[in-house]
Amino acid sequence: MAKNKKQKSYYDKVHGWGRVSTISALCVLLMFPAAICLYLGVFPDLSLLFKGLLKVLPLYWAMAVVEVIFYTPMLGAGGTYLSFVTGNIVNLKLPCAISAMENAKVKANSEEGEVISTIAIATSSIVTTIVLAIGVIAFAPFLQSFTESPLLMPAFKQVIPALFGALGAGYFLKHWKLSVVPIFVMLLILVFVSDIGASTLIFPGIIVSVLATFVMYKVGFLDKKESK
Amino acid sequence: MPEDFRSSIVLYLIAGAVILFVLGQSVFFLVKSWKHGKELGIDKSKLKNAITSSALFTLPSALSVLATVIALAPALGLVIPWVRLSVIGNITYETFAATEALKAFGVETGITEAVTSKEAFAGVAWIMTLGICFSLVILPFVAKPLHKKFLNAGKKKNADENASTEETAEASTNGKKKRGFAGFVDYVTPALFIGLIGAFVTNSILGSGKADVNLDGAGVLSVITLATAIVVSILLELLSRKLRLTWLEPFVMPLGMIAAMAVAIVVYNVAPEIALIEWRG
Repeated sequence: MAKNKKQKSYYDKVHGWGRVSTISALCVLLMFPAAICLYLGVFPDLSLLFKGLLKVLPLYWAMAVVEVIFYTPMLGAGGTYLSFVTGNIVNLKLPCAISAMENAKVKANSEEGEVISTIAIATSSIVTTIVLAIGVIAFAPFLQSFTESPLLMPAFKQVIPALFGALGAGYFLKHWKLSVVPIFVMLLILVFVSDIGASTLIFPGIIVSVLATFVMYKVGFLDKKESK
Repeated sequence: MPEDFRSSIVLYLIAGAVILFVLGQSVFFLVKSWKHGKELGIDKSKLKNAITSSALFTLPSALSVLATVIALAPALGLVIPWVRLSVIGNITYETFAATEALKAFGVETGITEAVTSKEAFAGVAWIMTLGICFSLVILPFVAKPLHKKFLNAGKKKNADENASTEETAEASTNGKKKRGFAGFVDYVTPALFIGLIGAFVTNSILGSGKADVNLDGAGVLSVITLATAIVVSILLELLSRKLRLTWLEPFVMPLGMIAAMAVAIVVYNVAPEIALIEWRG
């Protein structure tokens, strides 16, 4: 009972800090274009601004809703607030959190999982922010030649297969029963719609994965050895 | 010169302030969770490992995020892409948003040419920011209820398990096992993760890129990279288990990733004509 109370109060605190920092981040973020306008002494024509927004807003605002719903359970409380402020969730923050929780052998919905995923996501955010800051300030003139040099370019073009291959290896092995159906269905989708893009494929992938897992669970296919 | 206003020191200072805020938030959460981890009695080495492996895991991706900043720099200068990718930014979104925003302001060349109009420059900053910020608007309202729902499902499952302990013997003698919805909760996170990881893995095998861009679609190099990452990670994992090299554990995934990128470099430079084959464009 005492532990439950303590647990509740820690999560409540995290949500409190998260809300305050998210609203502050939103204000800081909106001040950036405002500051640019003030400094340059211009304000863009509203009709043009609206025209541009019309192209971007419907798609990305809808995606924001979907992302919040899908990723919040995976990221944990602290991790959610941090990830949505610092971005690059699917290609960086989530893989980091998953990998760290696997290493520490903790579950995502436990308080230990909450701590480990927040530490992983915070570290990842700090490293990315610092790499970007150093890159922009110190190495800006040489960077393009570095990432686009014929020698190193292929590595930077293959970050995604390298990252998700390394992350997927252990995960698919450990949960092979859960992996077969969604992987097969996603390959099938790609046979017909090869240009769907991974960031869109995630959503049918997740839905199929959860449904297939539910069916396998119900028929008792997961009863024995599948590690949780 | 167009560069004058895009790279003025004042813009850098404004950007610096935004970035310091983000950094501060991350440090705050890091310190708080570290302290709470110690309160929970989590081994200090586990907490340290989470930091080292995450930092190492992030480094190659952070460099590719940096490459996006650089890719947007010819048109927008460094400041806007820097802020956009430090706060909420996302590689796929920013390029799309910047191109659409520039088109709206009549810059048909998109992100390939330097933006010379201050109005277009400010407009792009607004569009990119307003487009991406919606998650921060809804998060304060929905994150807590969503998260609580997820946790409560887990708690309900534990309660169900305790309550049904006495029934278990009886149920197993009847050869039936109760499979309520609450027991399913333990499988939800792995299922979600598999959907997510699987999308990127399968896309590297069969996804297509743009017809005129090399190495962005599935092909020889993406599959070799993927396979190397998988094989190296599994070998390292086995090695660390067999020889009980606990220090190696946090480095397994980052090393698998770095090894795969190194193999991509070697293959591309040794046999470029084969490496460039993309079966889906």
